[in-house]
Parts: sequence; structure tokens; C-alpha cells
Amino acid sequence: MARYITKRLIYMLLTLIIIATFSFFLMKMLPGTPLTMEDKLSETQKEIILEKYGLNDPVPIQYLKYMGGLAVGDLGISFQFDNREVTDIIMDRIGPSMQLGAQALIIGTIIGMLLGLVAAIYHNGFLDYSSTFVAVIGKSIPSFIFAGLLQYFIALKLGWFPVALWGSWQHTVLPTVALAMFPIAIAARFMRTEMLEVLGSDFIQTARAKGVNKFGVVFKHGVRNALIPLVTVMGPLAVGLMTGTLVIEKIFAVPGIGEQFVTSITTNDFPIIMGTTLFFSFFFIFIILVIDLLYGIIDPRIRLAEGEK
Amino acid sequence: MRKTNWLLLGLALVLSMFLVACSGGGDNNADGGEGEGNTEEKNEGNEGSEGSEGEPSGEQVLNITDSAEIPTMDPSMATDAVAFQWLGSTMDGLYRLGENAEMEPAIAESHEQSEDALTWTFKLREDATWTNGDPVTAHDFVYAWQRAVNPETGSEYGPYMMNGVIKNAEAISNGEMAVEELGVTAEDDYTLKVELEKPIPYFLSLTAFGTFLPLNQDFVEEQGDKFALEAENILSNGPFKMTEWKHEESWKLVKNEDYWDAENVNLEEINVSVVKETSTRVNLYDSGEIDAAGLSGEFVQQKAGSEELKTEEEPVLFYLKMNQQHEVLGNVNARKAIQSVINREDLVNVILANGSLPAVGDIPQNFAKHPESGEDFRDINGELVETNVEKAQEHWATAMEELGKDSVELELLGGDSEVAKEMDAYLKNQLEQLEGLTVKVKPVPFKERLRLDTEMEYDLQNSGWGPDYIDPNTFLNMWVTDGGNNKTGYSSEEYDALIEKANNELALEPVKRFETFLEAEKMLIEEDAVLAPLYQRASAKLWKPYVKGVITNPMGPDYTYKYAYIDGKE
Repeated sequence: MARYITKRLIYMLLTLIIIATFSFFLMKMLPGTPLTMEDKLSETQKEIILEKYGLNDPVPIQYLKYMGGLAVGDLGISFQFDNREVTDIIMDRIGPSMQLGAQALIIGTIIGMLLGLVAAIYHNGFLDYSSTFVAVIGKSIPSFIFAGLLQYFIALKLGWFPVALWGSWQHTVLPTVALAMFPIAIAARFMRTEMLEVLGSDFIQTARAKGVNKFGVVFKHGVRNALIPLVTVMGPLAVGLMTGTLVIEKIFAVPGIGEQFVTSITTNDFPIIMGTTLFFSFFFIFIILVIDLLYGIIDPRIRLAEGEK
Repeated sequence: MRKTNWLLLGLALVLSMFLVACSGGGDNNADGGEGEGNTEEKNEGNEGSEGSEGEPSGEQVLNITDSAEIPTMDPSMATDAVAFQWLGSTMDGLYRLGENAEMEPAIAESHEQSEDALTWTFKLREDATWTNGDPVTAHDFVYAWQRAVNPETGSEYGPYMMNGVIKNAEAISNGEMAVEELGVTAEDDYTLKVELEKPIPYFLSLTAFGTFLPLNQDFVEEQGDKFALEAENILSNGPFKMTEWKHEESWKLVKNEDYWDAENVNLEEINVSVVKETSTRVNLYDSGEIDAAGLSGEFVQQKAGSEELKTEEEPVLFYLKMNQQHEVLGNVNARKAIQSVINREDLVNVILANGSLPAVGDIPQNFAKHPESGEDFRDINGELVETNVEKAQEHWATAMEELGKDSVELELLGGDSEVAKEMDAYLKNQLEQLEGLTVKVKPVPFKERLRLDTEMEYDLQNSGWGPDYIDPNTFLNMWVTDGGNNKTGYSSEEYDALIEKANNELALEPVKRFETFLEAEKMLIEEDAVLAPLYQRASAKLWKPYVKGVITNPMGPDYTYKYAYIDGKE
């Protein structure tokens, strides 16, 4: 087990280095400089400022310097937010995004699983159709429309929750609900399909024939088997939710990280582009590792299949 | 999951970043400068309170939003509207912008100019203090201005605003001279002497600008790298001080009780939240959580007719730049045809629909006034371009004949924001009315457009400019031969001579100088048809009727809250 994890961690590191390298050179292909007043400054002045920030060095030199800094955990200093450390910026912004993402993921998965479970148990009944309907709505309505509707009706017209902004737990309710729609839909669909398959399989029939009651079968054997594909899709979804969503964060004015990535690209804020890319990548790879370990716990048949060879 | 898959995933991630990079452009297109607002529009005396100014009543708290996080609170490093706004609210320079863009004494009590207008001596008030109790002295200005041009600082606005203005600024910012040589000295604690490179008629308006704000040397050096990063690393000397700054989320300003003019400051608190989405602002405004909300596009139409809707015209001008290195656009008749084939009325009413005005010259409305009669520059020179399709066709036919062509294809560099797309489609449609002209729209992100502009790799482009100081020179000076931002290939000895004359011989003769600018604008737009003016930008904003006394500025901070107050809030 320990050997397997060590091996995986080494691969993770390699992956990150490759991502850093690719991102760095792609980023250097962006037109323009981080200067805000590119259109107004004279060439001499631009040169002087770029020189100060080491942006006049040949790209390979800049790359080596950056990787050198990275090795000691230095992500550099932002250009658009003068003098602010990239690490601080990411840490400042990731909190709200993570909180919303985690809340949405937990609530979404639980509700979605329940819906899917109910749908499977009452296959082709009213509850099945209702929960499928919810899932279809959740999947097909774009989140910004749903968020806008929530904001207008629940917050502005009914006044149950704040319209937007950040601060108390009440502020997190509407964005969480808006974000949770997608995981609800995904979880419900997967749960329903998998449960139907599992419930129809031989070992369940056997268990039923041996007298295990309906709910016992469902919870002891059905859910566990249906979890495998669910974990597979929920992993990347978790990363997506927890690293911030541009649209929801903008609509509810949440100070999250979702938009930071995009604005840093349009302003050529190289250190932030690199910082967020690496952070997102690390998070992503890390979640994949967690999922692989989870597989083993959920289903012993695939435990450490690769590693132990 | 297999190892190879992670690599793929990693690659996919990188790729997706690249795609985002390609499509990102932001909506800051073509906004050359930071200047916004207008001199006339004031947000006080709503209907019902006419005649009487009103008195502050009730809780003096203003709740507003801004469109982005403050990039920096370091005056030397500030470059954008958000930074200048909050620096302007928390700090006082020598002068500050008052009503109708008039310069009010702030830290300076008065000033004197030498006869040759090269030396300005400012007498500073002795009762101004920093929030740590230190007095604000002439040394603070010397330090701040030296810091702004010091290449070590890496300031963009420092060299931009000071080179060619303050003596030796250029050499210092190029690293060729010691910062102590900068033409600014403290004769004593309360007398500041400024030496200029040449007479600068608009110098006073510069002293209100963010880059020229003073800095307390001891404080700045003590803070080092942390200076201005958090609310507690900021030292103020203005009407308000920042007490809380949650990055990317909100900040709070409270009245500075030690401010020298505290008795004229009414607001106790200004709470600012970052809200980027217009619909969110409108909902917050409707729910009563905020007192003002900037609008765009559809929301302006939705709120049309509301008494709370105010249009603020800005001195920011947009126009089509025509590359004269292009065979066809080098022909003045072709350029005149382009000038007069575009219907600007429809452009502002249908495409923009936010109160923007059709542009008919190179100087916006309500920006520069005749030094004696006070008449507006725009009113004197009138409409230098008109929409006349027939005349345009004639010019075009002449041009085609002179060039011996019957069909032409031109490329229009456009922006990639929603409005820009509609606008470019409209311009294409208008331009193609000219016989035999095909226009190809090439949408590019803002930074890429700047690059293509610098390299002059374009035929036509939709471009804009905001002023850096209140003087026609900021708009007209850029079109001289090889001007850093000319990039149209326009070069006219006569035009150069006019601008040269206005800035040197006539620097001390305001009326003649003004008239020279009038002449220059006519030459630029009417005779040489260098640009096809499109529109003067305006913005629409909702203001609660109980917010009074907010002044809108044409440059520097968008709004002055110093005199703002709340009256009649339920």
C-alpha cells in the first residue's frame, strides 16, 4: 500500500512538472505584456519596467528561474495586484470557492443519490418519473439561469435569503443550491441506472430468494455496487465545483477563485496564471489519487490492481 | 485510472487553459484611459428638492459597489479607475477636483507661477496631518514624486505623467540621472517648489491626479514590501480612511476625523462591495442593499424612464483608426468616404443604447472650455463629420478613380466582447454601402489589438482614448508625426507645427493656444480625415434619490464623495 502511494506521488510530481512546463511556454505565447498601460507608455519605458520584472530575459531563462522558485515553494508576485504574493491571493480566494463547492457536492450527491435510489426502487412508477424529471431539469437548465431565477424570486421577491455578497451562512444558501443542481442530476441518473442493473443481477436475486428483505438488499448490496461509477464521475465534478465557478461566483458576488484565472489571462498576469493552473492541476491529480484509493475501499476486487503487480 | 490517463488529463487541463486564453478579452476594450465621468452631471438636487440643497439627515452611511478588487492602494503603482477612485477618497494632493472640474486647494493653500511659468511654488497648509499624527509636509510630495519616477519602483504612471513635465523626470526614469535631481524641492516644511521642463498650462490639473499624491517616507519605508497591501498598511490624509479591506470582497471607509476639512465631510461610512455582474447590482439596488448601481445594455432600457436613472457622459472618445500605409486608406477621399458613410445616431441609439453621444470630432463634449468665453470646445468647432451616404459615395468614387480600382477589401480589427461584436457587424454593414468595398471583421482580444496597432498591422480598427489631464492636448498631441500612439501613418508638417506652437510659443497665451487647438482639430478631422469619429462614451447609473452631493469627475477618481450626504432615506 505504502509503496503504491509513494509511486503515485512520484508520478504526481512528474505530471505537475510537465503541466508547469507546458503552461509556461503556452502562456509566453500570449500577446502583450502585463503592463496595464501598454498603449500609452513609450518603448523605452516599457523596456525599463519589463527589465525590472525580469520579463526581458530569454524565455528559457525565465522558465528556469520560475521552476527554481517553484522548487522552494515560491509562486512569485502578482502583476495586477501590485506586490501581492500569488500564494496569498490563491489562499484568500480559494476559501469561499471550496466552501460552496463542498456544500454543493455533499448536498447534491446525497439528494441525487436518494432520488436515484427512489427512482430505481419504484421503477416506472410516479416517483421514478418525478425524480427523472428533476434530474433532466437539473442537467439541462444552465446554472446561470437557475442562479438568476433563485436570486430574483427567492431573494428579491420573497426576501428569504440575501440577494448576493458574502459574509454569513445565509449568503451561501442560494449559490450552494444553484451549484448543487448539477451534482443532483448527475448523481440521480447514475444511481438510478446502476441500481436498476444491480437489482436485476443474479446475486441480488439470490439474496432475495434467501429471504433478505427488500431494503436490506438495496442498502447492503445495491448501493455499494452502484457507488463505483458514481465515484468515478463525482471526482472530477468535485474538482470543478471546488475550484470555483465563474458564473455562480459572479452572479452571487462571491469572492472566490473562479474568475481569477480568467482575468489573470486577459491581463497577462503570468505568476497568477501559473499559480492557479498548478493549484488546479494539483487538486485534480490529488482527487484522482483519492478516488483510486476509494475504489479499493468500496470494492475489494479492484484493490491496488496496478500497484501490486 | 491509468497513469497515461493522468497525462492526458493534465494535457487537457493545459489545453483548456489555452482555449480560455484565446477567448478571454474582457470588456475593457478600447478604453485607452482611466478618465470617466463628466463635469456637468451632478447627482444632487433631484426633483422635489429644487432650489434647496438639502441637509444631511439620518444615518450618514453610503453603500455602493465597485466592479473589481482594488489592484493597489500605492499611488505610485495605481493605473486604473478603481485604484484612483479609492486613493482619491482617502487622500488629498496639492489640489483636488471640485464641482465642475474646478481645482480646489487641498494640501496646498495657494500657488504662484514664475513669469516664465517654469517654476511653481505651492504654499502648503499647516494643519493637514496623516492618520498617524505626522504633519503633511512638502517633503512628502518630494518623496512621492521621486519615488514615482524612480525606475526601481517600476511605476507605469509615474514616467507617463511626469516625463516631459517635471524637470529631469525623463532622464531619471530612464535610469540616467539620480532621483534627487528631480525638479521638485521642499524649500521648507510647507513650501514646495516645482520646476517644469517647459510651461505646462494644465499643470494644476495634474496635481489632483493620483500619481502626484504625497507619501509619508517613514511610513512607506517602515512597511517595505507590505506597504498598501492591507488596510493597516495604508496611511491616509484625506476625507476618509480605510478601516477594513477584504480582498476581492469588500472594503470599508470611515470619515477621517483628523482631516483638515473634516467639518465639510458628512458621510460617516462608505461600504463598498465588489459586484461584477450587472443583474446582481440591479437586484441588490432593488432590494435596497446598495444605493447606486451602474447599468449596461439591456438594463438601461429596462430602467428607462426611472427618475433614479442618471446618464453620465464621459470624456472618452471612440473612433475608427485608418492605417494610411494601406494603399486605399492613404487616399484622403477614401477616408472621407468612410467618415461620412457611418450613421452615428443609429450606432449610439440602437447598438449602445446607454446614453453615449455621436462623436463629431476628436475632442469630446463638455471637456475643454474657451478660457475667456467659457464656450465648449465642441460647440465652437461644431460637427466636423456628417453622415451623408451620397457624398460618401462621391468621395469613394473619386478615390477609386484616383487609385484605378473597382473593388477593395479592408480588414476591420474588432473586439471580442458582446457589444464589440454587434458594433463591428454594424460598422461592416455601414461601410459596405460604399460601392465595391468588402469589409472583413477580425475580432481579437484587447492585448492582441494593441500589438497589431503597435506593429501597424491593421487596415481599420475601432479604438478609443480617455484623457490624462483636462486639456485638448491630451487628445490632439497623439497624432503628431511618429507620436507613440499615432500608429496611423499620419504625418503632416502643418499639423505638427500647430501642436508644437500650442505647447511652446503659446503656452502662456491661453486664448491663442485654445484657438490653435481648434484649428488643429479641424485639420485632423475635416481636412485630413485621419479618423472616423464614432461615439463619446456614456454610462448609465441608478442612484437612490436620498444620495446627494456626489460629484462626477472627468478624470482621476470617477466620483468625489467628500461632500456627499444622505438626506431623506426612509
